[in-house]
Amino acid sequence: MSIELDFGAILIEWPQLLKGVGWTLFLTLSSTVIGVSVGSFFSWIQWQKKSIGIHVVSLYVESIRNTPFIIQLFFIFFGLPSLGIKLSAEWASVVAMSINLGAYSTEIIRAGVEAIDRGQIEAAYTLALSRAQTFKRVILPQAYKKIWPSLVSQIIIVMLGSSVCGQVSTEELSYAANLIQSRNFRAFEAFIIAATIYLALCILLRSVLNRLGQRYLFGTRRG
Amino acid sequence: MDNAIYSGRDVVEFSIWDVLRNLLLAARWTVALSLITFAAGGLVAIILVLIRNRTDRWGKHVVVLYVQLFQGTPLLMQLFLAYFGLSALGFQISAWGAASLALTLYCSAFLSEIWHGCIQAVSKGQWEASACLALNWAEQMRYIILPQAIKLAIPPTVGFMVQAVKATALASVIGFIELTKAGTMIANATFKPFMVFSIIGVLYFCLCYPISRYARSLERKMNVR
Amino acid sequence: MSDKPLTSEIVIEAKGLKKFFGSKSVLKGIDLTVFQSEVVAIIGRSGSGKSTLLRCLNGLEAFQEGSVRINGAELKTNNAQTLRALRQQIGMIFQSFNLFPHLSVGENLMLAPHLVHKKTKNELSTQAINLLKRVGLEEKFHAFPDELSGGQQQRVAIARALAMGPSILLCDEITSALDPELVSEVLQVVESLAQEGMTLLMVTHEMNFAKKVSHRVIFMHEGRVHEEGSSIDLFTNPKTTELKQFLSSI
Repeated sequence: MSIELDFGAILIEWPQLLKGVGWTLFLTLSSTVIGVSVGSFFSWIQWQKKSIGIHVVSLYVESIRNTPFIIQLFFIFFGLPSLGIKLSAEWASVVAMSINLGAYSTEIIRAGVEAIDRGQIEAAYTLALSRAQTFKRVILPQAYKKIWPSLVSQIIIVMLGSSVCGQVSTEELSYAANLIQSRNFRAFEAFIIAATIYLALCILLRSVLNRLGQRYLFGTRRG
Repeated sequence: MDNAIYSGRDVVEFSIWDVLRNLLLAARWTVALSLITFAAGGLVAIILVLIRNRTDRWGKHVVVLYVQLFQGTPLLMQLFLAYFGLSALGFQISAWGAASLALTLYCSAFLSEIWHGCIQAVSKGQWEASACLALNWAEQMRYIILPQAIKLAIPPTVGFMVQAVKATALASVIGFIELTKAGTMIANATFKPFMVFSIIGVLYFCLCYPISRYARSLERKMNVR
Repeated sequence: MSDKPLTSEIVIEAKGLKKFFGSKSVLKGIDLTVFQSEVVAIIGRSGSGKSTLLRCLNGLEAFQEGSVRINGAELKTNNAQTLRALRQQIGMIFQSFNLFPHLSVGENLMLAPHLVHKKTKNELSTQAINLLKRVGLEEKFHAFPDELSGGQQQRVAIARALAMGPSILLCDEITSALDPELVSEVLQVVESLAQEGMTLLMVTHEMNFAKKVSHRVIFMHEGRVHEEGSSIDLFTNPKTTELKQFLSSI
């Protein structure tokens, strides 16, 4: 049989795709902000070296890192309503992605925190900074700088993982592609185009995040 | 698969034991798919690493592009392409076949990247030293580079096995009945999604956590040395 | 300038200070009194406990026995609140500068006063510029630490400590990490501080500097104050064999 490819049939549905891209970016950005905040907060708890805190955080980190994202999402979207916590597909997606990134970024940021020279902490203490001030103003900024590349990679992984959110009917990019192919039966073209867009988003996001890192973390001289 | 699942809504009561038994049976397929794709992915990765190390610039570029493609697009899209995409093009493929194919390629990209990194880490400096000993490429590889690179590669490779296990969960989306798919079916049938997804989570954890622990202890041992 | 300082108010008072690292005894009962505006140099071999003593005085290290009073207030290493209050009175300069690399020189100076004293940006930047003038680096306000030489970094570190308005400065081998030609610019700053009446307690290997600037010198040996006296006495007329050996070895 002969194979005729018709990418035009997919591209003509660009509003649908655009909406998908919009949701994918929204999911990624919101979960990045929440997830990295969660990770920073938990690495602060770990830095306190109180054993209860460490145990709670490592239980969270390990249970997320050792289960698939799709199960985390299904648990939140399908499972939690039986406890009376009912989230829309979109919110369930944001929550699941944030929790997921939160666990990985806790690990990543902790590694950065541990790599900070002891002298920095002593200098901060000597200047009468509190532990919280020392962590927030002296340790964390330097830790971010050390681990920014790993954090960027993890954010990209989470962005790619957001394609799973279409499975609970969040209308992100993979959902759009699925919708289009279910209408015109051009599955191959639809998913090739979706994959290409993801690849482009991946490259775009990486360069934007790297530039942000350069600007705010790697001492672009101010003033 | 157990009949209880398929009888769906006719069966009103499932005990926890029923659910657990069915999930455990389905988990076999998760394990099988993980092992197959990890092994096959490893084989493909070896070829990729060889191409990347042995050939001219062209071959290198192709491998780098391959890795970029598989790491820069969602695994879900890869699975959809392998299953729906191929069959839309007229190649009939089972969910099992599509899942194995997509996951194998996916794993191979990651493993080849890990292994290439390890060889790179060893070979700086070592290549020149061993070239002075008048060894040819294969001998250098065999006696100098690989023994060291393999040592370096073991912890991250074991660590990647966790990723491979978790990746198989996405095969559920194209209808391959492994742990996740069986779980969603049981959750629908029992109307106990909270319990069912909790159990699935625990089962995945039981599969992955020991591997994670092992990978970390290997890593720690290596750092001590 | 080995005249006794004019006032005789006690600012640092350590009694029976003992410190162990595990089972190893590092400080074996230190008694130390420092008066206001006094300049005290601590000398001794590495491992004699000089740096540990200094770090016990501002609570960077906990000690197991004895007591420390700073300006009359007892130092309690397990009480974060009082420790912070105390650290505002006692600044410290480190061997490795420990400037914050992610902040500009000006920001390094303003961070702690901003967070601890809650001063306004305007007040702080005026203060920071004045302090930088004092160490001869006012043009480096916007520079980053990695753009400065070691000597410049150490001068910034001194200015940063001064920004908190301490009455006492602890100096922990502050010239040991510097290239020889950069030592004097840092020592000049320290000397000017001494002349202005700052209480200084410094661990140093610069014997000439110690001789010139300090009122009193303490020789530490194996975790104890082995010998102490005015700098002239101690350097010209050492009594113990250990100090004689130490002085002849350098």
